[in-house]
Amino acid sequence: MTRDLAAAAGGCHIFTGCGYPAPGLQDFDFKPVFTIGSWDVTKPELLAVLSGLAVIVFFWVAFAKPKMIPGRTQSLGEMGILAVRDQILRPALGRRGDTYLPFIASLFFYILICNLMELIPVLQFPVMSRIGFVWPLVFMMYGMYWYLGFKAKGFFGYFRSWIPAAPWPILIILVPVEILKYVIVQPFTLGVRLFANMFAGHLLLSIFMVATWYLASLSIGLLYAAGSLFMVFFVFLLELLVDLLQAFIFTTLISTYIADSLEHQH
Amino acid sequence: MGMRSYRRPGRQPRDQVSPDSELTAGTGWSVFSYLIAGMLCYGGLGWLIGHFTHIALFFPIGMLIGLAISVGWIIYRYGRPHELGNPPKGDDR
Repeated sequence: MTRDLAAAAGGCHIFTGCGYPAPGLQDFDFKPVFTIGSWDVTKPELLAVLSGLAVIVFFWVAFAKPKMIPGRTQSLGEMGILAVRDQILRPALGRRGDTYLPFIASLFFYILICNLMELIPVLQFPVMSRIGFVWPLVFMMYGMYWYLGFKAKGFFGYFRSWIPAAPWPILIILVPVEILKYVIVQPFTLGVRLFANMFAGHLLLSIFMVATWYLASLSIGLLYAAGSLFMVFFVFLLELLVDLLQAFIFTTLISTYIADSLEHQH
Repeated sequence: MGMRSYRRPGRQPRDQVSPDSELTAGTGWSVFSYLIAGMLCYGGLGWLIGHFTHIALFFPIGMLIGLAISVGWIIYRYGRPHELGNPPKGDDR
């Protein structure tokens, strides 16, 4: 837990005889903030709910009373929605994709806010660095694009559409690869990519933050602390980019998979 | 709502382009999926054979064969840019 770590690092500086309190897996385990019945509510759960509420409240405020000449919040909301439409949906799905715009836009901003939680002081934890929050999203998407595939092509037609257009001797070799790709590799990489990037980012940030504190003392350590502080800023900016990129990649892939389910005929 | 037009000069809207004639944003990730799926599939098969025959070498051989199959298929499907007059022969994604 980050608070424990800060406490541990509190009196612990270089040359005082205590080792560097390295951040690790323990930083991703949280004690319950409060308990409802037998359900322990932890910080990541609260942040996940907070992110969802943030998205709902923002778009509610932006579009509750839309005006022809948009105000500041409405402009921002429109910019966000249009960015999702033009950069994520349209390249994959074309104009048909507009049906999925509310869904994909909500998903994009939800993941984005969840990721950005790692950069907000005090909160400082990316929700998606706990894989338990990623799998439900992945399974929902998985179920959805299979369902859309069944709806568009029929039960057997969907599976038949997996078979690539190739001569039959090649098909014998390729079909197992295709099946594995659709059933296991696609959802697995979708989830692990988001989780691993957030996990690594949070770990990297905590390592340099704790190191800055640990190295700060009236000695040569101060010089190292300055270097570490520079790295904190650098990684912060990097994470800003990664947070955006991961939300973008996740939704782009979902759009591609939806397009795959809908057309992809041979 | 005054939305910006999607159509820009020199840019064809996706609807008018046949799905088989362009590489999309997901192509890179699709290639990545094929590489993993090929290794997983034939590596797994190799491991299974190795497990029963007690010859450990089947596992790496299977993985290499899987990788070769994936790379071959990726080149066949995505490796010929349609700008050069070579439309992809397989499906696009």
